[in-house]
Amino acid sequence: MATPSIRSIVRKGIWEENPVIRQILGICSALAVTNLMTNTLIMGLGLIFATAMSCATVSALRKVTPDRIRMMVQVLIIASYVMIVDIVLKAYLPKISEALGPYVGLIITNCIIMGRCEGFARTNPVWPSFVDGIASGTGYAIVLLMIATVRELLGFGSIFGFGVLPAHWTRWTIMVMAPAGFFMIATFIWITRSMENRTNPQKA
Amino acid sequence: MKERIRSVFFMFGICLVFTAAVSAVNKINEDRIRLNEQMRIQGLVLNVLQIDSSGMGSDTEIAGLFQKRVRTSTLGNRPLYVGLDPKGQTVVGYAFPISGPGFWGPIEAMIAVDPQVSRIIGVAFYRHNETPGLGGRITESWFQKQFQGRTLETPPPGKRYFTFKAQGTAKGNAELDAITGATETTRRLETFLDEELKQVIVKLSQQKPS
Repeated sequence: MATPSIRSIVRKGIWEENPVIRQILGICSALAVTNLMTNTLIMGLGLIFATAMSCATVSALRKVTPDRIRMMVQVLIIASYVMIVDIVLKAYLPKISEALGPYVGLIITNCIIMGRCEGFARTNPVWPSFVDGIASGTGYAIVLLMIATVRELLGFGSIFGFGVLPAHWTRWTIMVMAPAGFFMIATFIWITRSMENRTNPQKA
Repeated sequence: MKERIRSVFFMFGICLVFTAAVSAVNKINEDRIRLNEQMRIQGLVLNVLQIDSSGMGSDTEIAGLFQKRVRTSTLGNRPLYVGLDPKGQTVVGYAFPISGPGFWGPIEAMIAVDPQVSRIIGVAFYRHNETPGLGGRITESWFQKQFQGRTLETPPPGKRYFTFKAQGTAKGNAELDAITGATETTRRLETFLDEELKQVIVKLSQQKPS
């Protein structure tokens, strides 16, 4: 299999095969951390780092890793990077680490990373794998940030913690709670699907 | 067979490399993480003891103030922070942590009482997993401030130190405003707050370290 071009990798990760809206992966954290934009951004950056580094490492070891234990090796690699992210957050951004709580650790079980390692990095060279990790992570982060924008704006009347709506704005409490995550993701998938159907009518 | 042995050695080797890397990162940042945690607790203790640290910008200033105004002691198996006046001689209050189950996870709080152990001078909820915007509002200042100045009269048997009433209907010393929409959080908070206070207040009244 020929290695796809960097451009197509980026396009696929962010749009065509976007992990959240196309593959419905990483939904757990997408529901949990998207009620505040700052938390979402840090979570997204953490995931981009973990995915890119894990993919690069899995790819670098792809020729020496025995096939039968490759899953164990992948989990070990992913867990190591995620723990590093967790430690660094605790040391340098304690407030955000506190707010994200267990979700940073749960990046380990985020299907996006495992999916990219297994589906792409295992059979491709290091550089494209690294880019693929970044692209998929970015696709995840962008969708989450969009959802967070709506949830924070309607739920708290603020963006990145700065109040933008007038004080008499009635907060939509439901937006802050987990169910709103489901509503927002569903709405988002609906919108993006319709958009795609309009541009490629033959696919519809 | 050879393939299997290779797999075992490969896994062993790679585990060694990665755990070493993670341990190294952890070791490098260990002190910093401990310091962060310590800073947080120190700021919190000063805060509930109503020792003004608002003019303090840097971490070292807060640490200095803590050193001067607070002496760390123990009460049973929990830490006790003895607040001192600016001269560092008379006791101005005692602060201690309490904790218990909330709706989604444990809630941790720091409570400060006056030197006679007769009145609450400050409360701060500092760690919880309650729903943001609902139970999570226990960290809002109106909720925490309503504890200030409440007297700690030993409740009659079967009664609690404090009970929560629907927002706006709380009357008297023993009743506090609940958070609308956070029934579960408030109910659990009421229970463990009472259990913890009953334990601590008795012990603290007997000891009253100076």
